[in-house]
Amino acid sequence: MKRLALPIILALSLSAQAEPLSVSKAVDMRQALDDLALAAANHELVLVKMQPIDTALAKRGFENPGIRILFIGSESAVRWAEAVEPRLLNLLPLRLTLIQREGRMSVISDDFALWLTEFPDAPAHSMIEAWRAELKAMLDDFVNQ
Amino acid sequence: MTRFIRARIGFLFPLLALFLAGVTSAAESVPALAPEPMILTATARGRGMEAAVAALNQAIVNHNYTFVRQQAIDSRLVPYAEEVRSMRLVYFCNFAKMDKALRLDARASQVLPCRVTLVETPTGVELIAVNPAWVAQNMPGLHEECQELKRDYLAILEEASL
Repeated sequence: MKRLALPIILALSLSAQAEPLSVSKAVDMRQALDDLALAAANHELVLVKMQPIDTALAKRGFENPGIRILFIGSESAVRWAEAVEPRLLNLLPLRLTLIQREGRMSVISDDFALWLTEFPDAPAHSMIEAWRAELKAMLDDFVNQ
Repeated sequence: MTRFIRARIGFLFPLLALFLAGVTSAAESVPALAPEPMILTATARGRGMEAAVAALNQAIVNHNYTFVRQQAIDSRLVPYAEEVRSMRLVYFCNFAKMDKALRLDARASQVLPCRVTLVETPTGVELIAVNPAWVAQNMPGLHEECQELKRDYLAILEEASL
């Protein structure tokens, strides 16, 4: 039974890791952006660009989806990718999606699992994991503020 | 009565066999879906960065997309004067398609806004995009939209590289 349980637990934990990072807290969009900017700065990350999809769509007569996209980066990540694996520049700057629903703000990353699968070997694989860990620490900071 | 049922079953068996044979051969004739490549690329040979960006912007408009912005890969990470000039990111979108995709699944944001990365080389400019169909491989609800988006990307890349 133990022999069977171990691979199952391992598979479940791997699949849990494979999901995009996701956190949420009860703040409005403005507060979320302030908190994310602060959390990014705490982790030596820079808020590169905010894409206001919500207002862009509403301005053109579409329903406001309550969604914004944030691009977050660091110079060291760009320089590393330039020198070692330029294909990873396509993942930079890192993207966060902010979704506002019923008074709560959810912040979701892109799906790193796809990239980890595409780059199974070091050093690219390790670097993607490092970026993911950095983003996770930043999001934890955002939640705890 | 029993004889009647046996006769019916006897009649149904060949039909069932024919049906199963048909299903099997139909399944065999459906080609397996090829895995999606991560990257879509095109090369604008003999062009400089400015000309390549201009051609890309024209192709974007020609395919009913709106230019959003362009920036360096290290924009806001280093002073403007130190930004890398040999690589540009061009963002664009089609608002109706964006609205539709987000209504289907908010995770569509992972392919928004559309982006082409231009990399200057000694022989021209490489145009690179992450394949939206590759991104959406775990999002079955967005399969159709991302296939359409991929076709749009390919058309834009082809036109921009002519």
